[in-house]
Amino acid sequence: MKLHIIKQRSLWWGLSATAIAVGAIAIAISWTTIGAPLRPSLDFVGGTRLQLERDCSQPSNCSEPIQANAVREILAQQGLENSSIQVVGNAKQALSIRTSTLDVEQRTNLENALTARFGEFDPQKKQIDTVGPTIGRELFASGILALLVALGGIIVYLSFRFQFDYALFAIVALFHDVLITVGLFSILGLVQGVEVDSLFIVALLTIIGFSVNDTVVIYDRIRETTKREQGRSIDEIVDDAVNQTLGRSINTTLTTVLTLTAIFLFGGDTLKYFALALIVGFISGAYSSIFVASTMLAWWRERSEPEGAIAPEVATEVDSSSSSPDS
Amino acid sequence: MQKQRSLLALIAVLFVAAIVILNQVEMRLGLDLQGGSQLTIQVRPSEDVRTITPEVMEAVQSVVRNRVDGLGVAEPIVQTVGDDRILVQLPGISDPEQAERVLGGTAQLDFRKEVRNPELNAEVNVRRQELSDLLLKQVNLEQEGNAEAIEANKAAIAQKQEQINELSGRLYERTGLTGKNLEYADPQPAQAGNLWNVGLEFDAEGGRLFADLTKELAGTGRTLGIFLDDRLISSPVVGAEFAETGITGGRAVIQGRFTAQEANDLAVQLRGGALPVPVEIVENRTVGATLGRDSIDRSIYAGIGGLVLVLIFMAVYYRLPGVIADIALTIYAVLTLASFALLGVTLTLPGIAGFILSIGMAVDANVLIFERTREELRSGKSLYRSVESGFYRAFSSILDSNVTTLIACGALFWFGAGLVRGFALTLAIGVLVSMFTAITCSRSLMFFAIGIDEFRKPELFCPDLTTVNKA
Repeated sequence: MKLHIIKQRSLWWGLSATAIAVGAIAIAISWTTIGAPLRPSLDFVGGTRLQLERDCSQPSNCSEPIQANAVREILAQQGLENSSIQVVGNAKQALSIRTSTLDVEQRTNLENALTARFGEFDPQKKQIDTVGPTIGRELFASGILALLVALGGIIVYLSFRFQFDYALFAIVALFHDVLITVGLFSILGLVQGVEVDSLFIVALLTIIGFSVNDTVVIYDRIRETTKREQGRSIDEIVDDAVNQTLGRSINTTLTTVLTLTAIFLFGGDTLKYFALALIVGFISGAYSSIFVASTMLAWWRERSEPEGAIAPEVATEVDSSSSSPDS
Repeated sequence: MQKQRSLLALIAVLFVAAIVILNQVEMRLGLDLQGGSQLTIQVRPSEDVRTITPEVMEAVQSVVRNRVDGLGVAEPIVQTVGDDRILVQLPGISDPEQAERVLGGTAQLDFRKEVRNPELNAEVNVRRQELSDLLLKQVNLEQEGNAEAIEANKAAIAQKQEQINELSGRLYERTGLTGKNLEYADPQPAQAGNLWNVGLEFDAEGGRLFADLTKELAGTGRTLGIFLDDRLISSPVVGAEFAETGITGGRAVIQGRFTAQEANDLAVQLRGGALPVPVEIVENRTVGATLGRDSIDRSIYAGIGGLVLVLIFMAVYYRLPGVIADIALTIYAVLTLASFALLGVTLTLPGIAGFILSIGMAVDANVLIFERTREELRSGKSLYRSVESGFYRAFSSILDSNVTTLIACGALFWFGAGLVRGFALTLAIGVLVSMFTAITCSRSLMFFAIGIDEFRKPELFCPDLTTVNKA
């Protein structure tokens, strides 16, 4: 099997552009409806999340499922009408409530009212997250700062190890992966109410790292071939480099995604969407390295170095020797 | 060959050492895994202390530490983060509300004397009467159960208390006797009902100040105001019999009509000392013990399951080198975990994710090398030369890709906070160890295997080699 990626590059670019455009539409819808590109968790906007589970070891405590309406009434009595309520768990015995930031007193009042209505909750299974609005903003700012610094560092390193245009297209591929992942989570936020927390920023940074990994491996091959076989057209070099590293790209992505899928399906709740973000990002990363970064580099070099093609003697010689094992 | 042998011996020693370390040193688990509370306390400037200097932070931290000790939690962590925040970690705590009340309370205790101002005094008394009427009404309303009226009355009570506070602030003046003169505080049962008092004991200077204060007030009808965070909590009258010497001996009792819980919290706060500046809890993340246990178990099982699939895949797809990679990966996993234990890395849920991802990186390094080896074999090189150049040629890819990951880790570590940093640290350690094992471990094992005749068969390295060569 040999991929001719250069020939069909408009197809690959079209696919990527469509995927990104769909994500962009979701982001735009999300922006007009909830005022943010993604549904932010309280990590970024502040607030209190209270997760409680009934203590079912006590007799007749769990005889009936918790009714969301009853919870809403209690919240309304405490002036917390604008909270979101979810009854979770298979037997509907657990509650997840998200409100504005509550202090200890308000929270204790709320817990007492809920206990009075629904029976004892298990303190061992209680989860409280309170994040002040300033902390939320700082977490967000530091996350964005980390992203920018990582980007800058990667550009400098790649420009130094390869060349600036290599670095540039690696960054294009990287944005491709980030945009696709963000787009998907924007859709998930709209459809399923999935929120992004600070782990999502971590996921994006990891995707960046791995996306560049993939690209670097192909670049490394292009660099090596270019040095050894000077005068060959860049299109062929890129085509070959991609094909030579294809086995590696597939196997590495496969093994990593395998583990992540296990975590997504069977792991704890906290890591579930973190794993999903990584799965999407890594697959997109493998795709973009092969079909976006490499083809764009070839396209760019073709335009900027037309003299590379005019070296007929060397080109034909190398062509004949390198094409024989494939035919 | 000699070099291979000594490297293998080194790896064996490291492996055994790592297992010993894992058995001896206990891995530190983050609060999200073992359950517990993590509180971030924001220190705010006050009128007296306008800028938060490192000295102020030190003072606040020692007060917070005292209060944490008062809670009786095992192995708490109290540390300063940034310029004006304190992070408190309380593993396995069962009552996060108490912790928050005690740590977040300002509890600036001070004793004030009433000034001569009969009009103001009279007004306060009127307001007090109004307040007690409202409180009485509240009891009646609660029996009737009219939610709306209860709320309205609650608001009225709060407003009345605010008025009284404001008035009493003008009625009393500071004396210089504050919580910093306090030696000890403990809850004591009051004589009547379920109410509790808080007993106080002053240091030498405080005892003297208290004696002077009570001497001045004794028999004048003016009261002694005990203020907590600028709120009057008790205003006892000092009897005329103390006019000679004041109350000596440095003891006092605050009668604040406390419940047992309130009295205890107050005593803990007072014992912890007075904070020089107000503080506020701006972040609280509490995970119940069972919940943490549950998510660690599920994630670890899922991670191990995925890992086993990867090991099987490697052995099936890459044959002998795959098996060697599996051995190297196992060594890698043990070495990395041992480094975590040795470096005192606190393992959190994202940390586990970082570790699992670093295994992905370690696999990638091996995949790169083996793919390259296969290529060299296909181009007709000898087995030894192919393996040799497989490692040599793949190195620059491995280096470049790992350095970019390390750059991302660095950014996460310097700018991220909390859990994010844990992830960056574990991933970075994993990447570093994986570079070591991919280059030394896989390499030595591989050359060792080639040294054995039965293993020196190209088809063990590349299954479809012959067909490719013929074409």
